Amino acid sequence: TAAAPRPWRLFGAMCLVRLPRITQPLEKEEEEIAALMGQIELEKSHYSDHEIRKLQEEEQLRRRKESAYEDEDEAPGKTVIMAQDLEDKWEQKLLQFEAAPRITDADKNNNRTSLNRKLDSNLMLLVKQKIGNQELWLLPQVEWRPGETLRSTAERAMATFLGDHIQAKILGNAPYGIYKYKFPRAIRTEDNVGAKVFFFKAFLQSSDLSQAELKEDYLWVTKDELGDYLKSEYLKKVNRFLLD
Amino acid sequence: PCRAQPKKKKKVDVKREQAQKDRMKKKIKKLEKAAPEMIPIEDFITPLKYSDSNRVRSLPPLSFEETERRVLLMKKWCLFKQKQDKAEWKAIQTLVEAQQEALKELRLESEELYQAAIRRDEGLFPFERDGPNYTPPLPGYDPPEGKCIDITKVYTQ
Repeated sequence: TAAAPRPWRLFGAMCLVRLPRITQPLEKEEEEIAALMGQIELEKSHYSDHEIRKLQEEEQLRRRKESAYEDEDEAPGKTVIMAQDLEDKWEQKLLQFEAAPRITDADKNNNRTSLNRKLDSNLMLLVKQKIGNQELWLLPQVEWRPGETLRSTAERAMATFLGDHIQAKILGNAPYGIYKYKFPRAIRTEDNVGAKVFFFKAFLQSSDLSQAELKEDYLWVTKDELGDYLKSEYLKKVNRFLLD
Repeated sequence: PCRAQPKKKKKVDVKREQAQKDRMKKKIKKLEKAAPEMIPIEDFITPLKYSDSNRVRSLPPLSFEETERRVLLMKKWCLFKQKQDKAEWKAIQTLVEAQQEALKELRLESEELYQAAIRRDEGLFPFERDGPNYTPPLPGYDPPEGKCIDITKVYTQ
């Protein structure tokens, strides 16, 4: 029964997601609970070896000061490392280390073509494509050719816009969503009523895209910013399969 | 007389050796019959030095306001987690619904594409990913040198 040609044209689109690289900031309740859990753990715990050593050394210091420097035990030449000194040394070492900033330069400039922006959320790829006689921002899509599965259509779409050297893990053979639209009455014919765009999802594995030959305009946007670029119907369908 | 004595020595030796071998075999059998010793799990045995009484922390008892604050905070946390869980559930439901809708439309289009789509993807699992860290990786960072020596005790039965 697959003989009758359907009036819908098929497209395969790829939603390439760059997963977050750093953790999201904690909510207010989460921070409060974390502090409370730390306090309870401290209350229920016993002293550790390091703490006992510290307490004993403080006792010794106090006794020595009270009994007016009777230091026959320790030879004046020998230096004793106290637990407090060790702690100070570790503190100094920590302060010397400078970690990379969580808010990068790309964040400050709001450079939406860079992958280093918004390291704590998912970034999706959008490209500018010409549909009919309009230039629209869409997830990269390409028309289906007979003889290939829809997944390979989506892979081809990714390769068309980003080149062959992309390492992406496609999540499964099945499409994640569909956007159906009818062509405007001017172009509509008996055999060509409209188009169905099937969306596939993939995770970007390599963080370095310098080898990618990007031909058209492209953007990496988060889920909230998608509304600035996509049309409302398209956006509704896309939002259904994107988790925050 | 000369012929008889060496013969006796041989017999006695052989008998003694055989008796020794039998005793050894009996001992081995006894050891094997005894049940094998259980391998002790080191996590479940608290070393005795931690049950000393001077190890107990001495902190002032909690005030009434403090306990009240803690109880109220736990209740707020309960509500927060419940909302979060419900939101996650709903998101997963919409995901599954969107996929089912897409597959239904695909089936209407062409049966063979549909069959290709619902086939299992062998390369997907096992799926591995390094979790997100607190700060992004520092370019050109040289970690300090060191060697990790494993001192776990290995028991054989």
